[in-house]
Amino acid sequence: MTAQELKSKPAPIVNPWARPFWDGANDARLMIQYCDDCHKHVFYPRVACPHCFSERLSWVQASGRGTVYSYTVVYNNAPSAFAPDVPYVVAVIQLAEGVRMLSNIVQCDLDGLRCDMPVEVTFERLNADFTLPKFRPVPV
Amino acid sequence: MNHTRGSTAIVGIGEVPTGRFPETGAIAFALDSARQAILDAGLKKDDIDFVIPTGSLYSSQFSNELATSRLVEELGLNSVTSNCQVFSGGSSSTNALRVASALIETGRARAVLFVHTDKLGTGVTAQGGIDLFSTAGISAEWEVPFGQHYSTVAALATTRYKYETGCTDEELSAVCVSNRKWAELNPHAFFRAPITIEEVMASKMLSTPLRAKQSNMLFDGGGAFIVTSAERARDLTARPAYVLGDGGAVTHFAYSQEPDLTRFGWARAARQAFAEAGIGPADIDVAEIYDSYPIYQLIAFEEIGLCGRGEAGGLFLRGETWPGGRIPTTTDGGMLSKGHIGAGGSVSLLIEAARQVMGKAGPRQVPNTRFAIETATGGTYMDAQVTVLGNEIPGG
Repeated sequence: MTAQELKSKPAPIVNPWARPFWDGANDARLMIQYCDDCHKHVFYPRVACPHCFSERLSWVQASGRGTVYSYTVVYNNAPSAFAPDVPYVVAVIQLAEGVRMLSNIVQCDLDGLRCDMPVEVTFERLNADFTLPKFRPVPV
Repeated sequence: MNHTRGSTAIVGIGEVPTGRFPETGAIAFALDSARQAILDAGLKKDDIDFVIPTGSLYSSQFSNELATSRLVEELGLNSVTSNCQVFSGGSSSTNALRVASALIETGRARAVLFVHTDKLGTGVTAQGGIDLFSTAGISAEWEVPFGQHYSTVAALATTRYKYETGCTDEELSAVCVSNRKWAELNPHAFFRAPITIEEVMASKMLSTPLRAKQSNMLFDGGGAFIVTSAERARDLTARPAYVLGDGGAVTHFAYSQEPDLTRFGWARAARQAFAEAGIGPADIDVAEIYDSYPIYQLIAFEEIGLCGRGEAGGLFLRGETWPGGRIPTTTDGGMLSKGHIGAGGSVSLLIEAARQVMGKAGPRQVPNTRFAIETATGGTYMDAQVTVLGNEIPGG
């Protein structure tokens, strides 16, 4: 098959062990894993701890607080499904629990974004099945 | 130690120009490149006993044909024991060279043909190319749903690197200017007209701070090289490109999981490559640095030890990487000027490193080149792969 344009908004492809994360997002809770053996938080969800290889991973609710490790504002040449959204912000968020995730920064001043600025989680429904955790600047 | 210094060599190279060739099938680029490489090596077709095609991104059907021996049949190679694909996106060249060297060192192969071809310039639409690169190598669960694509990937590293080092937009744009200086000398490059920093900085904003002329464009193209033992290489040519050392570090799959978007794994990979080669950064005559975006050329240049942290931008700005400069860099014009041909981005750079070491670079030949370093990375810069080539073997 030759590469095709992808018009519709992509939904996550969900592996069974990640289901608690997506169920949590639908309930406006940011769920991440915690290793009961080496006591580190884990994101994205794994079948075994990426630090110590233990299978004793529990689910915990993250604080939802973090900082912006890096960010970019997309103006042009976005993927087809995201073209109607420009300008939109893609960011790597460092959660207070020490793990990083990719997300969008929303409800923000595009010119006011900075590395290491504090943000907090907010939830945006994607479709009937999925809610995506996104982030917004913490009001000063 | 994973490779014996200088035990294998690249002895033949072949390449077609990068461009837009709507009437030409991707197979043609592969066959043309492969024939050139075999003839350049001074080998007969039936000297080839192992064929390694890499992946072709524009069509999974065509890529499967490469995996299932189409090249062996089309070229009429009758002594081939194995045709097997080695594919790691943009680092396929290094990984194929590594596999080829291991096969030769262990006596499993005598002459390995590596081939790349793709048709991303005319085999997909412009938007289709953007969409392909909003999924290829990007986590479908954790990053695709947030609109991640290769412009944002590069922009995220650029934003953080600027924040940590004070690197300027002028310095980032100077990478494009430097690579274009070399492309002016390369008939295989697509963009050959001179360009200025002002023109780069005035181009369309894609994803802040990344502008259009700081972004690679996709084209059709292909390349090939032949690897054999050092002993056999000496019989074939007076000036082979010995594989002196290589090193690698795989540091992420999902981009957000990269521990340091301003460094990646280059330092570790380079330490290993230099240790194996028995030389250091100061001995390098030519640097072929992976340049899908300026940020990656600056980071890799620094991290492999060619200058200090945060200093690379100034070197490019002052022309030290230009033709005639102190450290000639990305001398085929790179993906930013020669053009991006998928996994072939680093194939092109590895071929150019061999070409310089073999003294076959024509008007852009760097005089008295003994040692060249080449860097490659696949996916969203998931790995750092470093190769050192030379036309002499240090301590040998």
